[in-house]
Amino acid sequence: MARVGVFVCHCGLNIASTVDIEKVVAYARGLPDVVVAEHNLYSCSEEGLSSIRKSIEKNKLDRVVVAACTPRTHEPLFRKTCELAGVNKYLFEFVNIREHCAWIHIKEPLSATDKAEKLIAMGVAKARLLEPQKETESSVIPTAVVIGGGLTGLTAAASLAAQGIDTHLIEREEKLGGVLGDVEVISPEFSKSGDLIGQLVKELKGSRHAKVHLGAKVVAVSGFIGNFEVTVEGKGKQEKIPAGAIILATGAQEFMPKGEYGFKEMPEVVTQLELERRLASGNVPRRAVFIQCVGSRQPGREYCSRICCNASLKNALRIVRTRPDSRVSIIHRDIMSYGTASERLYREASDRGVVFLRYGLERIPKVVRKKDGVVVEVYDETIDEMVDLDTDLVVLATPMVSREDARDLGKLLKVPLDKYGFFLEAHVKLRPVEFATDGVFIAGSARWPSSVTECMGQGLAAAAKASIPIRRGKVVVEAITASADPDRCAACGNCVIACPYEAIEIVEEHGKRYAKVNETKCKGCGTCVAACPNDAMQQRGFTSQQLSSMIDALIKSTEEET
Amino acid sequence: MVNDLGRKLAKLAFEERGADMLLVMREEHGNVVPAMVPKGEDLGDVRLDIPYQLITILENIYPWVSKGRIAIITRRCDEKALAELVKRKYVDDKRIVRIGLACSEDQIRRCRCEDPVPSKVDLGEPHAAAKGDELISRLEKMSQQERLEFWAGQFKKCNKCFGCTLNCPVCFCDDDCVLEDRTFVAEPSVPPGLSFHMIRSYHMIDKCIECGECERSCPAEIPLLTMRKLLAKDMKELFKFRPGDEKTVSPLNTTLEGEQLEDGCDEC
Amino acid sequence: MAEFSPTILAFCCNWCSYAGADLAGVSRLQMPPNIHIIRVMCSASVKPEYVLKAISGGVDGVLVLGCHIGDCHYMTGNHRTAKRMPLVQKVLKEVGIDEKRLRLDWVSASEGEKFQKVVTDFVDEVKQLGPNPMRGVKW
Repeated sequence: MARVGVFVCHCGLNIASTVDIEKVVAYARGLPDVVVAEHNLYSCSEEGLSSIRKSIEKNKLDRVVVAACTPRTHEPLFRKTCELAGVNKYLFEFVNIREHCAWIHIKEPLSATDKAEKLIAMGVAKARLLEPQKETESSVIPTAVVIGGGLTGLTAAASLAAQGIDTHLIEREEKLGGVLGDVEVISPEFSKSGDLIGQLVKELKGSRHAKVHLGAKVVAVSGFIGNFEVTVEGKGKQEKIPAGAIILATGAQEFMPKGEYGFKEMPEVVTQLELERRLASGNVPRRAVFIQCVGSRQPGREYCSRICCNASLKNALRIVRTRPDSRVSIIHRDIMSYGTASERLYREASDRGVVFLRYGLERIPKVVRKKDGVVVEVYDETIDEMVDLDTDLVVLATPMVSREDARDLGKLLKVPLDKYGFFLEAHVKLRPVEFATDGVFIAGSARWPSSVTECMGQGLAAAAKASIPIRRGKVVVEAITASADPDRCAACGNCVIACPYEAIEIVEEHGKRYAKVNETKCKGCGTCVAACPNDAMQQRGFTSQQLSSMIDALIKSTEEET
Repeated sequence: MVNDLGRKLAKLAFEERGADMLLVMREEHGNVVPAMVPKGEDLGDVRLDIPYQLITILENIYPWVSKGRIAIITRRCDEKALAELVKRKYVDDKRIVRIGLACSEDQIRRCRCEDPVPSKVDLGEPHAAAKGDELISRLEKMSQQERLEFWAGQFKKCNKCFGCTLNCPVCFCDDDCVLEDRTFVAEPSVPPGLSFHMIRSYHMIDKCIECGECERSCPAEIPLLTMRKLLAKDMKELFKFRPGDEKTVSPLNTTLEGEQLEDGCDEC
Repeated sequence: MAEFSPTILAFCCNWCSYAGADLAGVSRLQMPPNIHIIRVMCSASVKPEYVLKAISGGVDGVLVLGCHIGDCHYMTGNHRTAKRMPLVQKVLKEVGIDEKRLRLDWVSASEGEKFQKVVTDFVDEVKQLGPNPMRGVKW
């Protein structure tokens, strides 16, 4: 028999002005297994907490129900009070009679009181069946793996190594630097990319905590946070790297036009990265036309690649600054020179005579071969006229697109991608460099086309996040994980398929096949529980008996009423 | 003594298809019972006219038969039940030898069977599908209240014998059935409440191969097959899914795709 | 006779709809008091058995609320809910219980107003349907 204590909170007047607290407390006293029901002006105050604690001790309570506000904010506080009073924190149940009752039925005090009673009856019903839980802990291998040796990966790896964390940087090419290796100067301050990469490479090479694997590819990943094993293959040999955390920084690649604007047919038509290479070798054209948004912001690839406008502005300026006789035009659909520094480039380009023409998707420009070079025929929306631009070079500003093998890597790491093949973070604002899969982090253009500043910021952020479990040395799993009763389990495999984390497998022991949950991988969603036809799968703290008893309590209290 | 049918079967199963044992229904002391007969043994008085779901027996004994190839008489519904078993890795398809049996016209009519012909007919003559279930057309004409009254009337006859679950070839967890617990079926009484039948209906929705064994097993003569058929129709309409094919995956085991995906919330 | 006041059970997922309900509360958005929330971690943990048990036991309506598709804290948890609940509705329909007694909807943590609207609409709808015919039925 459980000994349940119910503590109803006035929350000053927040609850008490609508809900008749005395009546609710009297009702709670009559519920099964309730040995004491009390009320506090503010349960969460120092006074309230100590009175709950005293009551637990005095009445030898082994289940505690607080009817107050939302568990989303105050549950840890009351759980801690239970622990201090010697009651396992998982024997605590929260009933929300403020947000879900008093505050939303202000004009119906009678109904609200009645509802509060039912909610408490449901909470007590569940509390009676709660079981003490032990949180599981597992150790963390103090090593990090960074996949991708571009700017983001370099930044992340250098940061981790500087923190004294053993870090493996995996790069499939023979040199570090990634896409930035093809770019000579960085927008908006025109600094040398070589200096930046060189500095990071130097830091890594000088660190005894960093190991760089060149020409190496990740072929398998197993395990979970704290205990991954990354298999790397290269130069005919395979290496298994145990790691506590993984940062994915594989970047993106330049979209190669497929026949648009005479690309590949006319040598004068090049992509932005080709222009970068030419400018780096001193090959500066006199006349150039940039066409923006080639292959982006159109049906099928709706997104804005964000960095191409700044790249075009930068390169246009490089041309006009070097050759005063130059004639440069940028044909765009909107100029995206976001940020405090980049807008300056746009202004300078205008001042130096770079011509900006706006086109629409309905009438896209044409590149036409003429006797003495090429002409870009463009319909300028602003003046409602066709304009012909003679030029020596047409630069197609194409978007960054996801790596061709991103999906394969996503499968290896069990992390999701969006519809464009970019990796999808756990939450765009709250968890921007984490995956929903614990221990795997994302940074840079693999997530979304990113500028140099953004890549570095995200690289550092991911390194900081990845260092948390490694520094702690252990991961604690909240005891809301699922587990299957081997005796009941029929090994139908529904749960294995349902689990979004691949935390369940069918194992065989003593000739009996059953589903086994890896608790470190389990995130406690309960998807498997609902998939189980035989009620063999249960989620701690949300068992079917507990939730069913809440339904029973609701039915019973409704019947009593009528 | 083996009958003619038995001789034909033995030749098919053991000589032509290399089975090591044969699972059949045969008459013993006036009762028709399932029997697993090893190669070389007398098949006895084999009976094919008893529509029992031998797949249920196969599922139950399979863990105890560690090697050898098992031949089994498969009507169309048995084939489908077998596919559901293979899909869940309960049996290894390579160890199963199928001997296709086409159902009699009479049997097809009794099962209101819409898919009566096995993929390979070894025994019997193939016959056309039944015209449909007369009870379904009656139910479809009923109002909601009449339908509830009809089914409540039927379910009140249930004496909770569990014949429907125990004999079902695709009801996999028969040792501990949730319907035996109080967790979801609150009423400890006989007859059990509506939740008993609704929960079983839900559990069968992506598995039922419409063999009708539940209905045949029901001593209270509840038209359980009709309920299964109604829900099979709903399943097909909603998700274009029919159980009974190894290669198809239940919609309950897949995520949403394409047009079913709506936009996420823009605010967060 | 007093107006029929339905008893409604709601399952809200911890991350979106429960938080949406909290926001409705914080914003003092008023709604009928018929709804009783059970917090679950994900709408995908709502066993169809709960719904069938509740309706069989006389609860007038069941509301299952999850995160919007694509926003599930557990990636694809709510995809499962989106598949299961329509089938549960069919089971209700076939035995002669109005399938509208079960409703599935998506409410994000920022949609306090949507929570209010969904609850208000559902309570209205269940009022229209009248008491669950299984109310008080003893077998």
